Amino acid sequence: MCLAVPMKITNIDGFQCTCEAKGIEREVSLFMLQHEKLERGDHILVHVGYAIQKVSEQDAADSWALFDEVLAADI
Amino acid sequence: MSHSAAERLKSLRALRVDRPVRIMNVCGGHERSISIAGLRAILPDNVELVPGPGCPVCICPEEDVYEAIQLALHEDITLVAFGDMLRVPVNSPKREPRSLEQAKADPARLVVFFAAGFETTTAPVAAMLAEGVPDNLLVLLSGRLTWPAVALLLDSGTPGFDALIAPGHVSTIMGPEEWEFVVDKHDIPAAVAGFTPESLLAAMYSVLRQLGENRHFLDNCYPEVVRPGGNLEARRQLDQVMNVVDANWRGIGIIPKSGFALREAYAAHDARERFRSYADESRKRVGEMPPGCDCAKVVLGKIYPNQCRLYGAACTPRKPIGPCMVSDEGACRIWWSAGYRDNEWEGRKKGSAVG
Ligand code: SF4
Repeated sequence: MCLAVPMKITNIDGFQCTCEAKGIEREVSLFMLQHEKLERGDHILVHVGYAIQKVSEQDAADSWALFDEVLAADI
Repeated sequence: MSHSAAERLKSLRALRVDRPVRIMNVCGGHERSISIAGLRAILPDNVELVPGPGCPVCICPEEDVYEAIQLALHEDITLVAFGDMLRVPVNSPKREPRSLEQAKADPARLVVFFAAGFETTTAPVAAMLAEGVPDNLLVLLSGRLTWPAVALLLDSGTPGFDALIAPGHVSTIMGPEEWEFVVDKHDIPAAVAGFTPESLLAAMYSVLRQLGENRHFLDNCYPEVVRPGGNLEARRQLDQVMNVVDANWRGIGIIPKSGFALREAYAAHDARERFRSYADESRKRVGEMPPGCDCAKVVLGKIYPNQCRLYGAACTPRKPIGPCMVSDEGACRIWWSAGYRDNEWEGRKKGSAVG
């Protein structure tokens, strides 16, 4: 349940942002990352609709490689 | 397995572990990665990976689930709960939790958000309340802190593990420092890990090397996400909205200062305050599980899932008996999904693998 998914920010509106991963768009709250400077194109780690940390593009890609494996295993 | 994971494995194998070592993880996400990557099979024979208390659904006390069900049955409310987060972005382009949208969409209807989870999941609930929610949104909170369960095991004198892999996203919120007591008080090596096989192998390498050199410390093997002090803003919001209180863990009992409760300032959004009559003291049956179910022992790492007599026999994901087979974070469910089919209960009589 503590898993978090890295997503890329495509638009920011106050504490709300739209982000994208694997062609899926979601509305995500940036309320827990008020202290971070975030802009379009940045990657964030998303858990239950909230960004919990900013991550680098490389780390986002590494995590997705793992998720692809998990999803392929259909667990 | 990726190149860097293979390199990590090579250096780990080169360490030559000269005695049996049990490494506990306390995160369903870690256990899932370990099982899928098949790490148990490729580690040195005398290294055991023990899944510990890492599933918030498994330890959510029965009385909380009962209360949520009773509310849904008897009150004119909409009950909302967390789903399986890993699949959500792929299968359903919706935002979670949807409780806020639900409450806004129909202001005349009460929405009760049953929020069970560890720190990672409880912090967003605090953030949601701190930001402000409509009057018709209430929270039935069943939040827990992870470290007190590990402290309970360590204080018991028979923890059943020699090293700890600390949870990555709990530490993202709370800071890695939360796990320092494992080293400082109990002299057990610990490493915070992320969720890739590389990160997990790095953490395993770290604790094995610490044991070999007899130099124990808390290693952060997930520094790209886990920063010193954690997410300070998230911790501030948690503290603003919630108190830390004694809490009941299913099958385990009350663990001091291991749960979250809404502060008085947020009482108007507290489902427990609004629906006091549903809290049923008589359902607090500490230590009780479905007959034959060993979830409590599985959660505490005392046995492996397939050492429960019901594993794969009466209990499968299709017909689960205990919560560990229900939740995607439950060790029994993860092991079954990863293909472990042998029931070792019979073998256990001849000699236990886990202490
Ligand atoms: S196999 Fe089923 S009955 Fe046994 S511990 Fe796991 S969930 Fe409980």
